[in-house]
Amino acid sequence: MPQLHVREAISASTLPERPGVLVAKRHHLLVRWSHWLNVPILLGLILSGISIYWSSPIYQHKPDPLTGNFDVAADIGIWICAHVPGLHHYSSPPDWIYNHMSLGPGMLAPALRLHWLCAYVFMLNGAVCVAGLIAGGGWRGLLPRRTDLRDAFKMFRYYIGLPLAKLTRRQWRHPDFNTKYNALQRAAYFSVPLAGLLSVATGWAIHKPMQFHSLAAIFGGFDAARVWHFWLMWVFILFVVPHVILVFADGWDTFRGMIVGWSATVKRSEVTANEQ
Amino acid sequence: MNNKARGFFGELPLPTFDVDPQVLRRRTRRDVLLFGAGAMATLAGAGSLLPQDTLTRLGLRRNMNSSGKEWLLNGALRIDDDVAETLYSPRRTVPTYTKSQITPLKNNYNGATPDPGYIPGWYLTLDGLASGVSVVLDIRSLMTRFSIHEQITRLVCVEGWSAIAWWAGLRFDDLLRTYPPMSQAKWARVESSVNLDASGNPDPYFMSLDLATARHPQTLLATHFNGQALTVEHGAPLRLLVPVKLGLKNVKAITKLTYVAQEPRDYWAERGYSHYDGI
Repeated sequence: MPQLHVREAISASTLPERPGVLVAKRHHLLVRWSHWLNVPILLGLILSGISIYWSSPIYQHKPDPLTGNFDVAADIGIWICAHVPGLHHYSSPPDWIYNHMSLGPGMLAPALRLHWLCAYVFMLNGAVCVAGLIAGGGWRGLLPRRTDLRDAFKMFRYYIGLPLAKLTRRQWRHPDFNTKYNALQRAAYFSVPLAGLLSVATGWAIHKPMQFHSLAAIFGGFDAARVWHFWLMWVFILFVVPHVILVFADGWDTFRGMIVGWSATVKRSEVTANEQ
Repeated sequence: MNNKARGFFGELPLPTFDVDPQVLRRRTRRDVLLFGAGAMATLAGAGSLLPQDTLTRLGLRRNMNSSGKEWLLNGALRIDDDVAETLYSPRRTVPTYTKSQITPLKNNYNGATPDPGYIPGWYLTLDGLASGVSVVLDIRSLMTRFSIHEQITRLVCVEGWSAIAWWAGLRFDDLLRTYPPMSQAKWARVESSVNLDASGNPDPYFMSLDLATARHPQTLLATHFNGQALTVEHGAPLRLLVPVKLGLKNVKAITKLTYVAQEPRDYWAERGYSHYDGI
């Protein structure tokens, strides 16, 4: 119970002669739990989801007269095996994508079973995350604000110039913000829960297209809702890559923050500035 | 910015505390170690839930199938079936479409398409009736003694594809009223004895249907497809059309209906799919 730790820690630190470390509470316990649980849940959803996709691909073309192949994902696998060194003798090029990004081809029944399990856990986990965001007040830090466009541009310029500044060993100042997240982070951390919500909504729309036909209609009908659901998966995949790279670039304090809940990179001057 | 200007939606500064460095170090070490242990346990636990075929392909030779794993995964299927059953309402109808919205429907016989030779000698057997005797009906009596209803509805396959088709047939509910099932019956076992496997050998198809769904006004025993009598590809001369269920419940070339009290066996449920399949 890190919330308690900090309280106990405060009482320990009230001993007058001991110099304390200043820490800021960043993430509520429930937010941290749900954050990490998303890793296996999303992995399970994506692996089983692509196996489900295999049984009836959204992106198809007229069957190839020679091979009978009609699946664009199979085409990509064939292309990869033809062009990537070391894969020329891959036993089944059309299955390459499904062998590497899913549970495997021809696994619809086990994939559906795993997908339902992960989907229900994902919804529960989403509720836990919302509870943590409310309990810890963290939801306020995720809301978009009017200055976001300008601030996002500042961050964008910072990232664009950073490699050159590093190479030429010039100073390249990170833009200053007095908020928990900068505008780019806020956009990402706001979009991902939104994508989660839309994934659940489109998921129900294609899982129960008769009972929830009005929900499917919001997304343009059953077939369109499948396309939405597919591309929402890519939102998660495309978020995770820079998310992981940036957290490592940012350092141990940020990574540890999601485990222990607090950050030690808070300056005394900032605290007094906030209090004034 | 003061608190008033910040308002309800404004971000508050993060709460800060002074902490004894030693206490901080101890807590950090404990939390990070717990996190690591939890991550390893989750990796092992979640990994073992993957299908055995996937694990074998990843190079794991050990059999990871256990009764606990089956219980958990089947539990998810059961919960999902219960959710589907709760969502079902006999009064909620599925959307209907216009003729211009009709899309092609492929012949999705799981195995080989049967030889149409069975059609002239076809009849439907009803068993488990309140009268206690079996009833045998041919297609002519089914089509003349019951009123025929038309509907253009979507058929949704478990694989994810769907097709909008124009159907006509008698209501299952009308058949149930004319030949009432025995009082304790809650299920219908729907059978097709003409079904074949991929190599063309007999592979009788059997499917469980709850009587609540059988009584839905859009559950038809279809005789016509796109204005024509059913062809062998679409289950001539009589197929089940139950648009509130997945396509695999829409049995082609039905030869027998048996009303039973206990949930009967189901072809696809025995192959790892769910039982209820309400959509």
